[in-house]
Amino acid sequence: MPEWLNVLLRSAGLFIGALFTARLLGRRQTAQLTLFDLIAAVVLGVIAASISLNLISLINGLVALAVWTVMAVGVFLLSLKYKAVREIVQGRETILINHGKVLEDKLMEAKMTPEDLISKLRQKNVFQAADVEFALLEPNGDVSVFLKKDKQPLDAKTMGLNVAQQTVPQTVMLDGEIMDEPLTAMGLNRNWLHTELEKVGVAPENVFIGQVDSTGQLYLDLFDDAIQVPKPKAKEMAYYTLKKCQADCEMFAHSTENQDAKKMYAHSAEELKEILNDLKPVLLK
Amino acid sequence: MTVATQVKQTLASLKGTQAALQQMATVEEKQQTKEILENSTRRMEKIIKNFESRIKVMEFEETQYKGF
Repeated sequence: MPEWLNVLLRSAGLFIGALFTARLLGRRQTAQLTLFDLIAAVVLGVIAASISLNLISLINGLVALAVWTVMAVGVFLLSLKYKAVREIVQGRETILINHGKVLEDKLMEAKMTPEDLISKLRQKNVFQAADVEFALLEPNGDVSVFLKKDKQPLDAKTMGLNVAQQTVPQTVMLDGEIMDEPLTAMGLNRNWLHTELEKVGVAPENVFIGQVDSTGQLYLDLFDDAIQVPKPKAKEMAYYTLKKCQADCEMFAHSTENQDAKKMYAHSAEELKEILNDLKPVLLK
Repeated sequence: MTVATQVKQTLASLKGTQAALQQMATVEEKQQTKEILENSTRRMEKIIKNFESRIKVMEFEETQYKGF
């Protein structure tokens, strides 16, 4: 057998073998590789490359490959089951900043210089160490940061805002094709979609992305970017029409002289005001 | 524009928004939002009833404004 044929056969065989080994080692993201994962991956790669190029004998190579694969998978399975193994293999998280104070001895333990720490903080958009209440070094080398309460981004709850619950928008059209499954999941059908498209005057073939939000409004992106699609305004329209009705009621209440009617209009205005308050988070995003 | 036509216009707007809200409520999946929408349409129903009876009185008092 000529040398090149040998290399060819080995390489092809190892290529297929590598595909399966990679599956065996699990689906963990490469970004989450721990140091141990990294070592195992590099060793496996080097062994596979050596066999492939005929640098070591086939038998020796395969044995080494098998041992490293089995051990790696075994340790991984053990670490799934036992917390103690997990701590040895994957390492533990280290607290770097607690109660707003940098823990220097922990920093030493993690082999991090102060420069490393502030660089990591900067990557989290924190430029002042004093803004941090709590920071933690994850086993994969990332730093997670919990800011002091007054430095945290504003959210609806701290603002005391009342916001509506929302479900995920469904993608009902892609590349001009109608997707039936998400449509039926929303309780809609092709007829509805065609009517909506006709309303805005768009041909189905022209739609690149079409999404429906939880209240059944259709948002479109077209192939032809010269066409301006009107944004769905049904919710805003409903809200402001109602607001106008409320103002009308107040006006009627002021202008009528009939006492019963005055009371009725005033009551309606009051009621509409309450309804508007309830609806605001739902209709205005 | 007479008062009667103004009231009728407001009534029409009320009915229109009520229908729009009802439509949103039927498609909405989140229970909480659905309830808010349904509750609102129910309360609007009462207001619409009041308006309708008021219009009847107006038309009775001033027959010349009858109809739309």
